[in-house]
Amino acid sequence: MARLLRRVPIGILPLLALLAAWELAARAGIYSAALFPSPMEVWSVFTDEGPLLLRHTLASLTRVVVGVSLAFVTAVPLGLLIGRYRTLERLLDGTVQIFRCFPAIALIPLAILFFGIGEKPAIMLIWFAAFWPLLISTIFGVKSVERTLLSVAQVARASDRLVLLDILLPNALPSIITGLRLAAGTGWLTVVTAEMMAVRSGLGYMILYAQQIFRPDEIVAGIIIIGVVGLAFDQLIRVARDRLCRWQEGLVAAP
Amino acid sequence: MSLIDVRHLSKTYARRAETVTALRDVTLKAEPGEFLCLLGVSGCGKSTLLKILAGLEPHSEGTVLVDGRHLQGPHADAAVVFQEHGLFPWMTTRRNVEFNLKARGTGARERRRVAEAMIETVGLSGFSEKYPHELSGGMRQRVGIARALTTNPKLLLMDEPFGALDAQTRSAMQGELLRLWQARRTTVLFVTHSVSEAIVLADRVVVMTPRPGRIRTIIPVDLPRPRDTTAPAFNALVRRALAELHDDLAEAAQ
Ligand SMILES: Nc1ncnc2c1ncn2[C@@H]1O[C@H](COP(=O)(O)OP(=O)(O)OP(=O)(O)O)[C@@H](O)[C@H]1O
Ligand SMILES: [Mg+2]
Repeated sequence: MARLLRRVPIGILPLLALLAAWELAARAGIYSAALFPSPMEVWSVFTDEGPLLLRHTLASLTRVVVGVSLAFVTAVPLGLLIGRYRTLERLLDGTVQIFRCFPAIALIPLAILFFGIGEKPAIMLIWFAAFWPLLISTIFGVKSVERTLLSVAQVARASDRLVLLDILLPNALPSIITGLRLAAGTGWLTVVTAEMMAVRSGLGYMILYAQQIFRPDEIVAGIIIIGVVGLAFDQLIRVARDRLCRWQEGLVAAP
Repeated sequence: MSLIDVRHLSKTYARRAETVTALRDVTLKAEPGEFLCLLGVSGCGKSTLLKILAGLEPHSEGTVLVDGRHLQGPHADAAVVFQEHGLFPWMTTRRNVEFNLKARGTGARERRRVAEAMIETVGLSGFSEKYPHELSGGMRQRVGIARALTTNPKLLLMDEPFGALDAQTRSAMQGELLRLWQARRTTVLFVTHSVSEAIVLADRVVVMTPRPGRIRTIIPVDLPRPRDTTAPAFNALVRRALAELHDDLAEAAQ
């Protein structure tokens, strides 16, 4: 019985329950049908307006991928250095702690002032939002290295380069990937918000526009896509982690 | 010329306001090819002495010569096997064994050749591509020893390498280590808590006093190897070493 339960994807049950409740609520007519679309109505948005949804989804996705990638290639090397060199850490720690507290969303007006309306402010904001979780998880991953391993490197008279690339980077990798999950999450949140103000395309823009033309079904469709893409990101990163961190003990049990 | 020549060595650690004297006035020599065991109660400075000889810790007073040279940081003559084995969890056996050579800038092909040969020497053929978490405790220690030997060190420093192993694996590993040592005649300084381990392995057992560590006595072990742990001569030496240690324990309790 227990084994059977483990094999059934029970994670889908709450979602099915929600769907049923939604359908019931729509039928009961608690709200007017114009305000509260039924599941079937939302589904017809997917079938009738597929190209539109796809275009906006791709616009948002591209921004997140570009912004998070930029954050990755800037935050990880900096994090390695900060984690490794105490002086650099003392120099930058205060600044990092202040900056990571700024919500990227609060910087939207500033980004628009600087870069106008378009791709640039959106990507800058995602970069900013994704940078800090990646930086902090990289630093943490570097500093969690066992002292003995550094002693081994010291006795072998390993160069700084070798220590960074063969020891500190792989040691930090699980933590970096956790940071990447956080970064993709916040990046995805940020893009939707940024698109409501700073760009004229993407899911955020689509949702806001749907509100103005009174299309609640499109709003709900947009929200569903946001959820599904967010989930897909996370799954993708998990697969990457399982691939890259096969050496980790007990990874199978990790969430 | 002695390979290790330590004279009047003292070591104090400064920790904020307080200072800890870990070693006081230690004088010790080891000849090339000699197997020394360092025996002492916990906290008497055994690891500290090892780290100083590896060049990982500076000493406070006295002189430390290894192969006739004053130590200035880690040096090519020494290799260390750590108690917690110090293997890189993200590297396979082969890459772990290659590490010291890679640090020296040895080319990939040569590295691989030496590593494979060494892996075979320590009896791990077939485990080259396994990660440390896929190996048993004894196998991990073999990997650590293989890595230390790849550079042909004149001095092999071992800090309680078998401390975490069960009795049977431990005695098998002692045999393996002696076999490797007899084939190469590296000077070995081997730290242990175990009196019988020291007497199974060593040419001379260096018994230390509790903190601050000093050398209480040096017991030469003139028994042929492999040593019979049930022989009266063996047990007489065990009793003698225990008596020296117990004196310490009694002193420490006062
Ligand atoms: N980095 C350090 N800073 C301050 N004190 C230290 C440091 N390393 C060791 N000590 C102190 O020096 C003394 C000797 O330590 P050491 O690790 O050499 O002992 P040991 O004989 O190896 O003990 P054990 O058998 O438990 O490993 C201890 O009192 C310890 O607290
Ligand atoms: Mg110790």
